[in-house]
Amino acid sequence: MTFYGHCFRQSNRQSPIFALELAEPKFMSSDSFLGVNLAGTMSKKRVLCKFFAHGACLKGEHCEYSHDWKDPSNNICTFYQKGACAYGSRCRYEHVKVYQSQSSASSSSKTYPSQYTCSDSIHAARPPGPVLGTVGHVLGVSSEAPVINRSFLPSGEPAWAENSGHGGIPEFSGIGESRSLNPADHPICSFAAAGNCPRGEMCPHIHGDMCPICGKHCLHPFRPQEREDHMKTCFQRQKHLEALKHSQEIECSVCLERVLSKPTAAERKFGILSECDHPFCISCIRNWRSSSSSAGMDVNSAVRACPICRKLSYFVIPSVIWYANKDEKEEIVDSYKAKLRSIDCKHFDFGNGSCPFGTSCFYKHTVKPGSSLWDSTLMPDLYGSRILDVDEAESSSDEENRDVLRELFKHYRPRLPIGVEADDSSSEDLDVDDALAPFLMLGALDMSDLSGEDNVM
Amino acid sequence: MVDLARVQKELQECNRDVQVSGIRVSPKADCITHLIGSIPGPLGTPYEGGVFNIDITLPDGYPFEPPKMRFVTKVWHPNISSQSGAICLDILKDQWSPALTLKTALLSVQALLSAPEPDDPQDAVVAQQYLKDYQTFVGTARYWTEAFAKASSLGIDEKVQKLVEMGFPEDIVRSTLEAVGGDENLALEKLCSA
Repeated sequence: MTFYGHCFRQSNRQSPIFALELAEPKFMSSDSFLGVNLAGTMSKKRVLCKFFAHGACLKGEHCEYSHDWKDPSNNICTFYQKGACAYGSRCRYEHVKVYQSQSSASSSSKTYPSQYTCSDSIHAARPPGPVLGTVGHVLGVSSEAPVINRSFLPSGEPAWAENSGHGGIPEFSGIGESRSLNPADHPICSFAAAGNCPRGEMCPHIHGDMCPICGKHCLHPFRPQEREDHMKTCFQRQKHLEALKHSQEIECSVCLERVLSKPTAAERKFGILSECDHPFCISCIRNWRSSSSSAGMDVNSAVRACPICRKLSYFVIPSVIWYANKDEKEEIVDSYKAKLRSIDCKHFDFGNGSCPFGTSCFYKHTVKPGSSLWDSTLMPDLYGSRILDVDEAESSSDEENRDVLRELFKHYRPRLPIGVEADDSSSEDLDVDDALAPFLMLGALDMSDLSGEDNVM
Repeated sequence: MVDLARVQKELQECNRDVQVSGIRVSPKADCITHLIGSIPGPLGTPYEGGVFNIDITLPDGYPFEPPKMRFVTKVWHPNISSQSGAICLDILKDQWSPALTLKTALLSVQALLSAPEPDDPQDAVVAQQYLKDYQTFVGTARYWTEAFAKASSLGIDEKVQKLVEMGFPEDIVRSTLEAVGGDENLALEKLCSA
């Protein structure tokens, strides 16, 4: 066996099949590499079945994945590779960058992309010393037959094949190379991050530093950005949990029940009044505020007032937690308003309807071309002086709106109102930005004034 | 629909400190939307020493609509009808709030007994008397308390006895008394009109 390792390094580029045969004489004949499917199933068989690992594989012996604990598991986070793993450093799967493996894969032969990189990484990974090991090192490593068996994994699975170079067998490949290149590229041990690594000191992965908030070893020592992100989210979560704990005891003064102990999730929310600090559950306060005048109660003096202190509030903010101080309340209110601003007002209906709350509406008022408002008021103004005013007064925040609108209206060609000379050159000059100007102004008006009527009943 | 869970809670809460407040609320029959409340006459008023029964009906919208309250014990008070027992109190009408409970509403009624508002009367005759001849008003109110609010504190058997002596059959007397919530005056009225 010791000889094979040496052979690998010398000859894999020229004759991968030869190298492969040497490495795996028992499992793979050269025939198996001529049939892609066969190679695919073989490789799958060598990857530990995820379900089996949890004792829950329904396929039993027919499973195409390995049910042998000796085989390594495919522990790569595909979300991370697509650039969007929500768990960050807390992810239980390996965070392996895709470009690394691609580059190394491309350097290997096309037919068997994983061979070169695999064998190469064995040498690189095992020795604790220099990455490009001497022959002596190579011999030492290669003498461990199971290491070769485990790490040699050509695969029919695309994600697997892509990453076999560095992340495919994370325990053994990639470490040496990536550590030598840049420690930040190397993932931290997910077991340690989750709380307990069974391999302890023997673990080939970096063990993260302990997060002072959640107490898990999930802070990557070489990724400051990720550390900061984790600390931030961890702190926010902690704060949220504490607030939730305080909120548990709070009773609604109308139904006399604890708000967070109500039967359905929809009911387990507070309705925060804008002007006072008395707690109610969202359903009770909305019920009260929408109770009609059938009982002879005055809408403005009684129904819109706080049931306890009778202070008038113009809107109710739903929240799953109860605030402890003014700042927290403001935060809740602001995030609620921000959320509403991103939702189109259904009364306004893109300019087809009329919103009873007018300019103080919390929801977004966008006018779509072809709507009644577009036709009746805005089109003639496109050529009026208003456009210029708006254009000049445009603030930087409008830039974003403008981009959104431009995207919306990119196929729109402004129509000329009746009575205006349809001059070809002038209509050419009228670019989309000008056509959008009235909307930007409309938006600015809508968003600036948020006081007034109660539109969130 | 009436929030039955809340009514149950209110009843428990109210009966817990009945010794302190003296305010009782109990279901009239099996239906929890018909209740009978009783408040003691406030000290230092002509109503002192009396116990006043109030008929309570919970509307469907309770607690978002005010409960309907009416005195079943006759009271001589400018804001309470001496004929029907109707109460003129803003919190039972347009100033109702769902944070109020039966107990707090009854407390408000009790407060009304000690602080009449003759300028906003329910019973014009009583209000006139209150404004023009306060001494007579106090006398009448005290007399009514003695005559109606104290009698009702008799045991049920004594009430039955009293009515049977008037010449009504005992089983009818018992069922009528039950129907009006144990008020002998109302029972007598009902028996006479039947």
